[in-house]
Amino acid sequence: MILAALTPLLVLSLFALPAKAQTASPSAKLKLPPYQKTKLPNGLTILLMEKHNLPLVSFSMDVKSGSTSDPAGQEGTASLAAALLRKGTKTRSAEQFSNDLDFIGGSFNAGASTDFTFISAEFMKKDLAKGLDLLSDPILNPTFPPDEFTKLVAQRKDGIRAAKDQAQGVLGTYFNAYLMGGHPYARPTNGDELSLAQITRDAVAKFYATYYKPGNAILSVVGDFDSAEMEKALATQFGGWANATVPAVQLSAATPAQGKRLLLVDKPDSTQTYFRIGNLGIARTSPDRVYVNVVNTLFGGRFTSMINSALRIQSGLTYGANSVFDERKAAGPFFINTYTRNATTEKAMDMALEVLKQFHEKGITEDQLISAKSYLKGQYPLRIETSDQLASQLTDLEFYGLDAKEIDDFYPKVDAMTMADARRVIDRYYPLDNLVFVIIGKASEIGPVVKKYAPNMDTRSISEPGYWPASGAH
Amino acid sequence: MKTTTLKNGMKVLVQEDHSIPNVALYIFYRIGSRNERPGTTGISHFFEHMMFNGAKKYGPGQFDKTMEAAGGTNNAYTSYDVTVYQDWFPRTALETIFDLEADRIENLAFDPAMIKSERGVVASERRSSVDNSNFGILDEQLWAAAFEAHPYHWPVIGWMVDIENWKMEDLRHHFQMGYSPSNATMVVVGDVTSDEIFKLAQKYIEPIPSHDPPPPVTTQEPPQLGEHRIAVKKFAQLPLLMIGYHVPQSTSPDYYALDVLETILFSGQSSRMYSRIVDKDQLALSVRGGQQFALDPTLFTITSQPKAGVDPANVEKAIYDELDKVKTAGITDHELEKARNVLLANFYREMKTINGRANAIGSYEVYFGDYHKLFEAADAYQKVTKEDVQRAARTYFTENNRTVGTLIPDKSATQAGGQKSGGQ
Repeated sequence: MILAALTPLLVLSLFALPAKAQTASPSAKLKLPPYQKTKLPNGLTILLMEKHNLPLVSFSMDVKSGSTSDPAGQEGTASLAAALLRKGTKTRSAEQFSNDLDFIGGSFNAGASTDFTFISAEFMKKDLAKGLDLLSDPILNPTFPPDEFTKLVAQRKDGIRAAKDQAQGVLGTYFNAYLMGGHPYARPTNGDELSLAQITRDAVAKFYATYYKPGNAILSVVGDFDSAEMEKALATQFGGWANATVPAVQLSAATPAQGKRLLLVDKPDSTQTYFRIGNLGIARTSPDRVYVNVVNTLFGGRFTSMINSALRIQSGLTYGANSVFDERKAAGPFFINTYTRNATTEKAMDMALEVLKQFHEKGITEDQLISAKSYLKGQYPLRIETSDQLASQLTDLEFYGLDAKEIDDFYPKVDAMTMADARRVIDRYYPLDNLVFVIIGKASEIGPVVKKYAPNMDTRSISEPGYWPASGAH
Repeated sequence: MKTTTLKNGMKVLVQEDHSIPNVALYIFYRIGSRNERPGTTGISHFFEHMMFNGAKKYGPGQFDKTMEAAGGTNNAYTSYDVTVYQDWFPRTALETIFDLEADRIENLAFDPAMIKSERGVVASERRSSVDNSNFGILDEQLWAAAFEAHPYHWPVIGWMVDIENWKMEDLRHHFQMGYSPSNATMVVVGDVTSDEIFKLAQKYIEPIPSHDPPPPVTTQEPPQLGEHRIAVKKFAQLPLLMIGYHVPQSTSPDYYALDVLETILFSGQSSRMYSRIVDKDQLALSVRGGQQFALDPTLFTITSQPKAGVDPANVEKAIYDELDKVKTAGITDHELEKARNVLLANFYREMKTINGRANAIGSYEVYFGDYHKLFEAADAYQKVTKEDVQRAARTYFTENNRTVGTLIPDKSATQAGGQKSGGQ
């Protein structure tokens, strides 16, 4: 049987891993394993990296258009297009595709972010030929059947209602909408109750026809295969994909919020207050990215960070508090994120603001800088451990116009960072007086408390469709 | 894999893997909420938190500070059966990690100020994961209704009133009961040699004396005599449905047949439940189900989120209809082969990371009594027949053996879960 034949392979790979004589330490070198980059004549960029420790092959594709390409008022189009790829092709119904995929234990996922559409798939080595067909068929031959479209839109509308039953899951969507205002990043990637009603099956098919072109796509493959054979197989599978020019994405940088603004979303059953405080952060390609990572590790990026120490470890006000730079093609949001029970809302918010103020005043110590560097370097290898992680890393690097140097230079860049760099990063990237607050909680209880944080308080009910009207969206 | 047992009784399992310069170190303590009693429910989980709050050499806050400065990070989880501590770190931090672990196992501090603050943290965790979570509150109520005698009756996180009322002596008692080295298994996977791990374990862990393990849990759930039914009324936009069937512990021969059945019913969009309930009948947004590792007889749960305007009763009926099909007509050869492929692929996926491997090795050692069972699982699934699966469905998926929970949206209910847990 196939299974019996495979088991020894596994044993071999698990127990006979080559013992490298490396002096591994956070200060040792870290290099991205070798990979090759090619381009098919139709413009599809291909990145291949062999990794033979397990009999799996992982695929990661980006189509370089995401929800920022959604037509105004039809937020969710890119996301629906991605989700419908597998719901019917020229030769397979949705059901047939799922049957074929599941039978070999394969995976296929597709979705949209603001800047790109992502497709990932994974198959066992023994099923590679079938896997390549199951990967390419939905990408090249989707038919967007009307009944599948109708079904999915109905599910998405209900899905938003279910999501709004959990404050934590929708807090980010409200925050981005309220923070980013007229910028495309303000618009909900998965759409909302109103925009989903405006999207037609033909609009989704049009999105696909316009943006899914090989010259607008990147495909990375990492795993247990031979590169030369894989290159040939991909040429066969994707060579016939016709190219065409894709409308360029016009994405200007958003303007940081000035002054203080506050949105309170009423969820009358809530026993906790969920809040984000922040402003605009950095782009993925910011030259200061590594420094920002180091500094944010100390401010809100790990368990002993200043924010978590104050709100969780020392006061027990919350189960967790952190701060995040959401890095995108253009500058994305920066925010402090936590929750606390209704009665301690003011205490927690005051404390978060105080930690931010102290951070600006006192900065960090030499010891803290050393600790953060060690932490980031010690944890980094876990991000490039598996074939699927590596495949999505390769696609990411290519999408942002970066290469292996980004990873190979990570340790040296961290090592070279000085206290002066840290001070500059704090001053430049952490807001102090210009802050946007988004709060989900029981308005009748916390409304009188939180209104002090901004000159004006905007309010809405969580039951109200949408998140926050982006300009031109509705 | 190399293994050794220290003189104090702690078993140490090591798997070398030099592909990244990192290490995953997991310690499984055989103590969880099943070892608790009414009045101190949730204390195992609370204790998991206290294990990070200071010992003798490393005082309050020093455990995490020291580990992070050495490039490591950590977490922990508590279940009905076990408490597991997880450390992930570069190999350069090895000795530091052993020093930290030994300190807290041997010399944990019981500082009243720390306990007060941590009580607030756990209450916050409960408010998020139960009181403000439709799934969390319904899941808690379902288990409480399904188990009347056995300790799986109460939630791992504990009832809110208990979280607020543990005493110092309860904590000391719990530490003495559960945290003997002989009650633990250590698993190390990554850029290490077994020799260096055994030496470190001998230096740091072996001198720590052992004592009696927790008394055996003798309570068994009596057979259920008829369907149990509960309702939770809560402010919500959509209802939620959950069904639990009593099934045996992980060491039961039926475990593998139930896993195969779980795969056929719930894994992927071609699964029987998804394709019927979400896709064809369009009754629900999601349907999922399965069993978990368990030392004692547990529940096979099924959870579904009905669509707006759909009566949960219709979803429930469709679920029973699909279960009945398995009971009367069985499964196909094609489905059986599919399930084996899915389970094999899932196994490889679990083996991708040093973390996944450490957790899987430790889990099989604890729940199946032998880590070898992890590597024999593919063979065990291979041996499951169509008849085994049909028999398991007929044995366990019966009306008398089930508990049904429904979350009913109620605009007038404004204190989510507050009534039952009384925690506000």
